[in-house]
Amino acid sequence: MFKQILVPVAGSSVDAETVRLACRLARKDKGKVWAVSVVTIKRALPLDAEIESEIKKAEEVLDKVESVAEEEGYEVETDVLQAREVGPAIVDEAVERGVSLILMGISYKQRFGQFNLGSVVPYVLKNSPCPVILYQQSTATK
Amino acid sequence: MLPEAGGSGAFAFRAFNPLVSFVASWVLMLDYIVTMSISAFTAASYLGYYVPALKDWPINSLGGILIVVFLVFINIRGVQTSSRLNIALVFIDVVTQVSIAVLGVIFIIYLPQLIHNVHWGVAPTTHQLLFGISISMVAYTGIETVSNLGSEARRPEKDIPRAVIMVFFVVLSLWALLSMTALSAYPVYQNAQGQWVTDLTQRFLNDPILGIVNAMPLYIRPALSFFVVFLAVTILIIATNAGMLGASRLAYFMGQRGQLPGIISQVSRRARVPANAIIMFSIIAGVLISTGKITLLADLYAFGAVLAYTAAHASIIALRVKEPGLRRPFKIPLNIRIRGRQIPITSVIGGLATFTTWFIVVYTHAIGRVVGFAWLALGLLIYLFYRNYRKKPSDEWEIKPEKR
Repeated sequence: MFKQILVPVAGSSVDAETVRLACRLARKDKGKVWAVSVVTIKRALPLDAEIESEIKKAEEVLDKVESVAEEEGYEVETDVLQAREVGPAIVDEAVERGVSLILMGISYKQRFGQFNLGSVVPYVLKNSPCPVILYQQSTATK
Repeated sequence: MLPEAGGSGAFAFRAFNPLVSFVASWVLMLDYIVTMSISAFTAASYLGYYVPALKDWPINSLGGILIVVFLVFINIRGVQTSSRLNIALVFIDVVTQVSIAVLGVIFIIYLPQLIHNVHWGVAPTTHQLLFGISISMVAYTGIETVSNLGSEARRPEKDIPRAVIMVFFVVLSLWALLSMTALSAYPVYQNAQGQWVTDLTQRFLNDPILGIVNAMPLYIRPALSFFVVFLAVTILIIATNAGMLGASRLAYFMGQRGQLPGIISQVSRRARVPANAIIMFSIIAGVLISTGKITLLADLYAFGAVLAYTAAHASIIALRVKEPGLRRPFKIPLNIRIRGRQIPITSVIGGLATFTTWFIVVYTHAIGRVVGFAWLALGLLIYLFYRNYRKKPSDEWEIKPEKR
């Protein structure tokens, strides 16, 4: 059903579980999994500016993703994206690669005492060209 | 198509050499600094509608400096600005300006009065006309910003020409109407010194749109003034920020090409922006604001803009000769073939016109001439010193004599 799965990762504790789930979903149809980490570039710099510390951080996150996939016995393709905002970068990548699913991991977060999804997830849900699955880490494992 | 941020400097780098690119970038840097200064100073002056003390110097200069300080803080702390909010504000601004222009056509514009106001050679004198033409080069920043952000467009071959053409038509049509409204509302008269002036420049030099609104019928004036001032302040603060971001991006571009010392252009690890460049160029903007002279700022602006524009035109021609096979998704129409190369007539005319205008600026704007050339000289000193320094072998490679 899901032959091409895009997994955006941000270096949070939910990444490993999300990648595991993506590998298991893709395995059924021998599908492909892409994990992407987005480096946001402020408007004070050109979009192609190379901020070494940020790129290094993103690559470390993706290295962890690869080792999780290896544990699952599956191969994951990884990529670092540079963008002004995370949401549009994920949607653009999904369109460009023609993926059949975006699988996003989310952590339980509160803002002003209320559960809050932030700005990225609602943007992706609203603009995604394909189905989106949100995977929320159990609040007990945080 | 050159998918690079850097505007005229990026063109000149590819078409000519690092020195020409540096000059184009350095004068453009002056324009970004002046954009910050003009916008922040004018925003503070418009605020004088709500807080009358801000109408006079030096309080308006102080207000302008505070706006710059506030934006430095925001950019270094890294508060994200929303693109949607910016687009919405610009849209409301254009709608407001169109509304003022329409109200001007309905209530104020009076053609016989307009014609009566113009006496070629007297009011304006040739010198004043040339001065005005060079000041109108302020509009150049908009087009330069389109070019600067062109590398981020999804479909640059369509989006960039469309944006430039839209800027051209919107600005030309809107400001032709607003100028006609202003000249109808504030007729030209001879002052005690025998100079031909209008009340718009005598009373509303720092907040001209408010001057136009002030000439509207009494029943719409208070509400319209309140709204226009609020919007003007918001848009001018956004323009100040745009100047700051432009200067920051340009500093990074210059640093990447070895045209500025790393201490200025380097990206701060914590802030993830060229913090030193933002602080340094904002300090210069603050110094310019402190003079409280909007004519000086406009002079400097014109000095930098026309030179950068000339460099852009010359680069387009040079690239047609040097790299005829370069991918050009959009090609300027009206070309003539010389020795197998297609030379765009518009760039030749444009380049000659802007270079002539630069001579006019240098000839007519005395203070602008002095400060402009001083800026250029300072830049060249930094550039030559830095290039020379970079040529020296690094300490790491030097074999030091052994200690005895």
